[in-house]
Amino acid sequence: MADENGGELRKRTFVITRFDPDKDQVPKTQSYEIACRPDWKVLDALNFIKDEIDPTLSHRWSCRMAVCGSCGMNVDGEPKLTCKTSLAEYGDTVEVAPLANFPVIRDLVIEMDGFMEKFKAVKPWIIVAKEKAAEEGTYKQTPEELAAYKQFSMCINCMLCYAACPVVSQEPEFLGPAAIALGHRYNMDSRDEGAAERNEVFRGPGTVFQCSYANECSEVCPKNVDPAAAINQAKLNAVVDWASGFVVKRGK
Amino acid sequence: MRPADPHAMQPSKPGSTRTAPPQVPDDFWTRPRMLTYLLFDATGIVYLLVGLVVLRVAWALTSAESWNALMSEFASPGYLVFHAIALVSALFVGVRFFRLFPKAQPARIGPAKPPPRPILHALLYVAWIGITLVLLAILGGVWP
Repeated sequence: MADENGGELRKRTFVITRFDPDKDQVPKTQSYEIACRPDWKVLDALNFIKDEIDPTLSHRWSCRMAVCGSCGMNVDGEPKLTCKTSLAEYGDTVEVAPLANFPVIRDLVIEMDGFMEKFKAVKPWIIVAKEKAAEEGTYKQTPEELAAYKQFSMCINCMLCYAACPVVSQEPEFLGPAAIALGHRYNMDSRDEGAAERNEVFRGPGTVFQCSYANECSEVCPKNVDPAAAINQAKLNAVVDWASGFVVKRGK
Repeated sequence: MRPADPHAMQPSKPGSTRTAPPQVPDDFWTRPRMLTYLLFDATGIVYLLVGLVVLRVAWALTSAESWNALMSEFASPGYLVFHAIALVSALFVGVRFFRLFPKAQPARIGPAKPPPRPILHALLYVAWIGITLVLLAILGGVWP
């Protein structure tokens, strides 16, 4: 079997998790057998199924180039960006499920609001005691200062790290990898003065110390942000900040 | 799929659409990387047992008879297997811990920057092997 360009097509069965909130009590699976081109990504197959076989299938996607972070799903049990995941890595049967550890709105679409709340909790913005006047110029930063946090600023909020984390699946309050990495990113930013506030959050109910360093978040991160590194650096900073509170009195 | 904690990643206020509860893959805990992590944590049991054995050793220091009795007990197959497991556990934990330790270090501590990660990684092994050799030399009566 060949496509119009002579490329070899391969039949694959996609076992896809389906959930209709109006009809289903729990998610179920549905199988689709399609002929796949050798250069297809998992997302191409899902789009083919939606366009040609079953228009009721729901999934999120946008940029198709691993930048927007929309198309994260569990592929054969592993959290993946489906636009970046080649079908060549898989066999004749491919299981596609919504990201693990998230409530499911429909089919492969997960509820993101819980994630956004965790995100906001770490105050992911530059905090300064007093804004500079415009005439004082921009906030300057050396390349070395930028390097201190750049890696942690590359997160695309795809949430694969949450789907991979064994703590997220068992401890609902845990802030989780991406949120902590982002909070740590701002704590490491030389322009920021909000580390004390964030460290209080890091020591609070969703504490960074719930992380058991399984390192799964970093294993699945498609942008090499290494959230596990950020979390474990944040742990030390949170302890130092707590201890220094006994010595240095902080203003409100 | 099987259930995760039903509150995992739930928003504080429910949305307008009913959602299916969060799930994890059936084989979540048995995938190779997760299994490695679980084994890493499980070695804590081995260290607990090693700690109890150390207490026994300390107790046996009270008399030459009890010390000799314990030493002959240590030559039994059960203890040999236990110590082999303890050695493998220590090697396994050391290798995994040393792999993950460098990246957990802060970018700087005051004015000082930690050495580059590969060097820090190598230094951990140098320290580990060095301390082991010194202990072996002391216990073997070779040094000092």
